[in-house]
Amino acid sequence: MDLREIWVYLSGSPLFSLILTLVAYQLGVMAHQRFGRSPLVNPVAIAVLLTAGMLLLIDMPYPQYFEGAQFIHFLLGTATVALAVPIAQGWHLLKGRFAQLGLALLMGGLVSVVSSVGLASLLNIPTDLVTPMLAKSVTAPIAMGISESMGISPTLTAVYAVLTGVIGAIAATHLLNALGMRDWTARGFAVGVAAHGIGTSRAFAVHPDAGAFSSVGMGLHGVAGALFLPLIGPWLLKWLS
Amino acid sequence: MTQTSVVSPMMIKGLVILLLYQGAGEILARGLSSPVPGPVIGLVLLLVSLLWRQKTDPDLQLVANGLTAHLGLLFVPAAVGVVSFLPMLKGNMVSILSVLVVSVILAMASTALVLRGRAADRPTE
Repeated sequence: MDLREIWVYLSGSPLFSLILTLVAYQLGVMAHQRFGRSPLVNPVAIAVLLTAGMLLLIDMPYPQYFEGAQFIHFLLGTATVALAVPIAQGWHLLKGRFAQLGLALLMGGLVSVVSSVGLASLLNIPTDLVTPMLAKSVTAPIAMGISESMGISPTLTAVYAVLTGVIGAIAATHLLNALGMRDWTARGFAVGVAAHGIGTSRAFAVHPDAGAFSSVGMGLHGVAGALFLPLIGPWLLKWLS
Repeated sequence: MTQTSVVSPMMIKGLVILLLYQGAGEILARGLSSPVPGPVIGLVLLLVSLLWRQKTDPDLQLVANGLTAHLGLLFVPAAVGVVSFLPMLKGNMVSILSVLVVSVILAMASTALVLRGRAADRPTE
């Protein structure tokens, strides 16, 4: 069996896509650890860049890659359900603060949606590239579901969500210090609402209370986004265009 | 019963619980033609049951921790789809990045400021 035959077999089976994705992610995780868990070296961004670069290099069409990678992709839904566990565990921390946190969540969610869509239309970004911004601060698995149900590209939604998470994780410490926020729970909640999962892993690296509140903020924003975005999204887009 | 021998069945039980809630969520989402994605309905159902019983099954805990710790891996396949959008994104990359940077900073700051403002109102803090 020569090398070409092996390649034809491998590229047609899910094994290649699975190996490519997992190796890229593992390299991302190793780089992240190597650089002292710096938010600048994000494992997900590295994994996406490496995998996409490899596909371009070997000229493999995306649908062929996804055929195999869909087994990883499927677990997004399961992982979404699993977010109930950190929320349930953080629930006692929320007691007595529901109104305050709910207001903060609503404010953060609204500012995220209005500022991105408003600014994008000011900069004349084409509509197809703007609509996926609606759900960008919602955790990616939920954001993609919301976008899909609204007829918006789930792919670009995932890309914007990753970028948002990375930017948020990088900016969080400086921004919250500049605002004079000293309460770890409030800091964590703000990070989770604005920068979802990637922000949350950053928050856990900084302080456990910040991490717990960040996962609660991320989970609540996911549920709120799923409820409200399909209602206000189309209206907002029409109003701005 | 030794510790090591129960590891694998434990993971399966946790996975079964999650998949059943995910399935229930999908059925409800389709049945009610709800705009809320099925897994989010599954999340809410599981949350209600966890809060109701006031404890989390250790098996479920194990699988949920694993999945949420590596949430990032799970959206790599979708995000790699960016390769199909490269021609479209090319001329707009700078403006898109500026929008994302400004928007995430504003969102985080406004969430934080609401919490700071309200915390200052409370005499105990």
